[in-house]
Amino acid sequence: MAQVLQVVINGILLGGIYALLGVGMTMMFGIVKLTNLAHGEFVIIGSYASTLIAQAIGVDPILTLVVTVPLMFLIGMGLQSGLINRVMMIGSEPALLVTFGLSIILADALLLLFSADAQRANVPYNISSIKISAGLSISVLDLIVFCIALVTIIILSLFLKKTYLGRSIRATSDDTEAASLMGVNVKRTYAIAMGIAMATAAIAGLCVAMKWVYYPSSGGSYLLTSFGVVVIGGMGSIPGTLVAGLILGLAQVIGGANYGQLIAYVLMVVFLAVRPQGLFSK
Amino acid sequence: METKSLASAHKPIKVLDGLVMWIVCAVVVVALYALGVTGALPNNTMRYLFKIFLYITMGSMWNLMSGFTGMTSLGQQVFVGIAGYSVAVMTTTYKMSFWMGILVGAVIAIIFALILSFVLFRMSGMYFAVATWLVSEAVSTWFTSWKYVNQGGGMTVRTTQIPRIGSLYLMALTLCVLAVVVIFLLLRTKTGLGLTAMRDDADAASSVGVNLFKSKLLCYIICCLFIALAGGLFFLNKGSVLPSSAFGIDWTVSMVFIVIIGGIGTVSGPILGAIVYVLLDEFLSHYPGWSNIILGAIAILVIIFLPDGIMGTLQKKLHFEIFSQKRFSEHKKDKKIEDAANAA
Repeated sequence: MAQVLQVVINGILLGGIYALLGVGMTMMFGIVKLTNLAHGEFVIIGSYASTLIAQAIGVDPILTLVVTVPLMFLIGMGLQSGLINRVMMIGSEPALLVTFGLSIILADALLLLFSADAQRANVPYNISSIKISAGLSISVLDLIVFCIALVTIIILSLFLKKTYLGRSIRATSDDTEAASLMGVNVKRTYAIAMGIAMATAAIAGLCVAMKWVYYPSSGGSYLLTSFGVVVIGGMGSIPGTLVAGLILGLAQVIGGANYGQLIAYVLMVVFLAVRPQGLFSK
Repeated sequence: METKSLASAHKPIKVLDGLVMWIVCAVVVVALYALGVTGALPNNTMRYLFKIFLYITMGSMWNLMSGFTGMTSLGQQVFVGIAGYSVAVMTTTYKMSFWMGILVGAVIAIIFALILSFVLFRMSGMYFAVATWLVSEAVSTWFTSWKYVNQGGGMTVRTTQIPRIGSLYLMALTLCVLAVVVIFLLLRTKTGLGLTAMRDDADAASSVGVNLFKSKLLCYIICCLFIALAGGLFFLNKGSVLPSSAFGIDWTVSMVFIVIIGGIGTVSGPILGAIVYVLLDEFLSHYPGWSNIILGAIAILVIIFLPDGIMGTLQKKLHFEIFSQKRFSEHKKDKKIEDAANAA
């Protein structure tokens, strides 16, 4: 019994980080209608930024978010208004291929800059855990990562629901033309959405760096995970992201080290085929 | 060379498909065969041409899917990998000839494509693109932990079975000529017309009687088969196969690059694109680590400034097409219709 409970707890904790990975992707999908194939590389850039800054100043990696989040937000806005808005005018297929191009450029640029060595953001609470009962414990690191993910997602959904800017973003997502007639600057909204997606990628990158070792080439697998979250949860749905993250997290933990990844991929393909609009689509 | 016109085009488009053009193509192909058979080419040149032929095959097939049918796949590398492993398993584990390996690879690719089609064809656009990638990653993950194929350690092709570059050259040339001819003929048929109609508007095509599933399936199977054959030849030459090289996203990177540079949706584009790609790749090998960065940057710049690629832009600017797959209404017929309209 304790063993089953332990698997469920681990799965849920893992699901938090998956949901966080997917939330930026789902925003781009739902609002900008863009499949951002460079999302995985953005996450890894966030990981490197947090690791390097934390090492350089010698602070807890979590504190680096103060720098990385605004920085990534600005980079995202610049990227969207400078490049991607322009390509999206040509068509959705060219836009998809441009993000694909960006992803291979970034992956190899990271490789040139940081070599293929494994990296990790070290934290003092790396191996400590809270013991609940015999055979049942929660890793402190997992819990912290889960809380970061949850807080980020809650803040993001409150921002989209309650603020004026959030409403204009949702309006653009529902009906681009009507929103632009009501005075929403669509291109600026897209830039902000990309900025937010990049900011969540920075936070996800921090979580990845604390939890796992990562390489310049790790972006691809995180992209596929975040895509899976989007597909299972439904495009543009933030609560859906959370549920999908938990489903994938549980699948991964149940499959174990050997088959977890395979089960997760198969689950994604099955969901894509059976219910491509996702669990929580409008 | 006669001038044909498209009803909507302002300027008549010259279609270069007269006798002269046929002779030019035939001479080029025969010359390439002759050079291979007589052994007049140095081995290094043959290696370059071998690579170019394989990339023309793969690029043309990716173009058939993405440029003519609207199925942008990011996972065709799965068929390269399956074929590569088939060659290695059949020659090393079962001590059979490499022909058996290539045959088995082709058969497995077709069966796998058939199975996948039921899942993949329910999606379109970006869903299809990423789902194909997911499938490829899933297979790659599986091969990395599958004992039968030596897990992540990879396999080698039995060395006595690796043919000399002269024979590989001829096989690749044959495959490449076949691929281009098959694509051209397919696009000239009614099914081919249905494919391009489907790309432009799936609902409209379906409503005028195009069987979407059947047409897509035919195109997909042809594509997967040829990519598997090319992959089999590639790994036969290379001699060893690893999960990361067999199922690497790099295959898709090169196919996308070739088609974008050459011109998406043109038959001649990928041929030019493959030549540019292999030469560029060779040049970039002097700058290790930079190759994908430069290829990616060139691809993005081409998408922004030359969205039709080199051949596509030339064709639009100079109003010509080489062996066009389109059906042009004859100029004379147009005039007849006009006369009839005037008379009425």
